[in-house]
Amino acid sequence: MPVRLLLQLSRRNLLRHRRRTFMLLLAISVAVSGVTFMNSLIRGFQHDMREAVVVNMTGDIKVLAPGYRDDPSIENSFVLADGWAPDLPVDLVDGWAARIKVPAVILSERETRGIQLVGVDPASERISFIGSVSYAGEPLASPEDARLLVGKALAEQLQTAVGRRLVIMTQGSDGLNREAGFRIAGIYDADGTGLEKAFVFTGVSALQRLLDAKVVTEVSIRLREEGSSAAEGFSARGRLMDYFTGLDVLRWQELEPQAAAMFAFADSAIFIWFLIMMGALIFGLVNTLITSVMERVREFGMLRALGMRPGSVVVQVVLESTLVMALGVLIGLGIGSLLVGWLADGIDLSAWAEGVELAGMRSLLVPRLLPGDLLLVALMSLVFGVLASLYPAWRAVKVKPLEALRR
Amino acid sequence: MNGLVVNCRGVTRIYSDDAVPVQALRGVDFGVRTGEFVSLSGPSGSGKSTLLNIIGGLDRPTAGSVEVDGVDLGTLSESQLSDLRLRKMGFVFQAYNLIPVLSALENVEFIMQLQGVPAAQRHERAQRMLSELGIGDLLDRRPGELSGGQQQRVAIARAIVTNPVLLLADEPSANLDSATTEDLLQTLRHLNELHGVTIITATHDPMVMQIARRQVKLRDGAIVEDSAALDASAAGA
Ligand SMILES: Nc1ncnc2c1ncn2[C@@H]1O[C@H](COP(=O)(O)OP(=O)(O)OP(=O)(O)O)[C@@H](O)[C@H]1O
Ligand SMILES: [Mg+2]
Repeated sequence: MPVRLLLQLSRRNLLRHRRRTFMLLLAISVAVSGVTFMNSLIRGFQHDMREAVVVNMTGDIKVLAPGYRDDPSIENSFVLADGWAPDLPVDLVDGWAARIKVPAVILSERETRGIQLVGVDPASERISFIGSVSYAGEPLASPEDARLLVGKALAEQLQTAVGRRLVIMTQGSDGLNREAGFRIAGIYDADGTGLEKAFVFTGVSALQRLLDAKVVTEVSIRLREEGSSAAEGFSARGRLMDYFTGLDVLRWQELEPQAAAMFAFADSAIFIWFLIMMGALIFGLVNTLITSVMERVREFGMLRALGMRPGSVVVQVVLESTLVMALGVLIGLGIGSLLVGWLADGIDLSAWAEGVELAGMRSLLVPRLLPGDLLLVALMSLVFGVLASLYPAWRAVKVKPLEALRR
Repeated sequence: MNGLVVNCRGVTRIYSDDAVPVQALRGVDFGVRTGEFVSLSGPSGSGKSTLLNIIGGLDRPTAGSVEVDGVDLGTLSESQLSDLRLRKMGFVFQAYNLIPVLSALENVEFIMQLQGVPAAQRHERAQRMLSELGIGDLLDRRPGELSGGQQQRVAIARAIVTNPVLLLADEPSANLDSATTEDLLQTLRHLNELHGVTIITATHDPMVMQIARRQVKLRDGAIVEDSAALDASAAGA
């Protein structure tokens, strides 16, 4: 097949109708840049959502006692051996934290609230949100620290302040209630008020003493960003299951099914958005190609009469479509990327901030451009470009040389 | 082989797309030897173009057989017919039928390009052919920038630059003035006599008929007169 000749003919025919080609390029690049930009917003949203879930208290993977999810109390806890360490590749794991997390009631002089009381080792909590929040007062000093970290929103509800005492009531391992007074070390300011109202922190050893049990209720494992892909998440989970036999080892998608469903929906939203934009575009592309083929019926007839094979005629039309598509995709990806770069500081969503913050997310949406998405958009557009040209190409090849020449 | 480049036996062509079928050819027997210059003439609608197109593999007979250079066209697929046209035939049509987006030189190179002739050789041959036809200085013009006579010469150059077995020309002078027609005829005669190209034309134009050495007349889809037959009978007498 004389590919160079066909390329030359396609290129020249595109140049012959500059206006038409320009309109096509414009439509394609607007669609592609729109898709690219929208994708980056969805990816940014997805990223924030995952961060929110993973960074709050969940982690990428969590180890729990089997009954804990149904009844999150001290009864469903487990013992960690001294110097425990599952065999996970260092480049995969960002860090881990062992905690006790139990329901409790917290009382000030004025108010009473139900909360999650979390016993932590402050040194290992850099993997959760509490490692990076800002404080009034000071953070916990060690696992032995028997003071409290209270969220700002909760402190307001309890009408309390740093240095004041609060009473905590919770159930001990023997099933009897424990009650003790704690002093507030610091008041933290998290991204969402949801977190601030839900979690109160203290040292894990201090809490173990209160509950009379040297146990934990969860080990939370945070993977590195590169290591958090589905496949590596699964392999890490497999190793952890071998290490923590008899315990539940769950990925965040299983622990937060709602967030995982939203996450998956965002994946399909990318496809749906792409299909809508491409659908509209292809309609125009097919129309334009048919017009251009019908105008050149005589020419196609002549090419066939001179001995060009039917297949070459098809390839010529397909090439024309693909060339415009490829150029339009390049321009569109360029414009889309520029747009994303221009908004790299993020888009302020504070107008809708309440809903966003409740979900534990930041009110600044930073678009994220994933190379994989760009490649996918480029490849799928080219595929669509070829598909769009098949019918017009068929019309071109159906031209009988004689009939065309008689016109 | 019987020495015939073209051998038509009982060729019939009925157009049945209209309500009343039209019988354009009625069992034509027609042979052409290598090196002949044949003119098909006859009233409008007598079947000249139909016969030429069937010989050229652009149309298929309703009945009968056509052999070109020993190949039975009836046995070939569309793609094989394309290849046959590409490798063995040169066409000159009434409307010059150049490719509008290619320059004169590129139009002449076109068929060689389809045939896979290397670029340098292609270029050289096309250039030489155009010079020979007297338009060596118009190589880079596109068809839209050439006069009718110039376009027709480019079309002829394109048709013969590949040394086809057969050159088919349907009303080659229809859109030309008499001076240009005279040039064209000299070119055809030159090709026929010096290069031995076999030529078949279909025409109303007496100038074209005169230059051909063999006259074939059609009427109502049948051959009614053939000077070769006269020659043969004269020779026999
Ligand atoms: N595609 C077609 N469909 C129907 N009838 C056709 C078709 N092509 C030719 N004919 C008919 O077949 C007959 C022969 O046509 P043809 O074109 O071969 O004549 P011609 O001798 O070349 O005439 P002209 O001198 O006008 O070019 C005519 O009656 C014509 O109307
Ligand atoms: Mg005719």
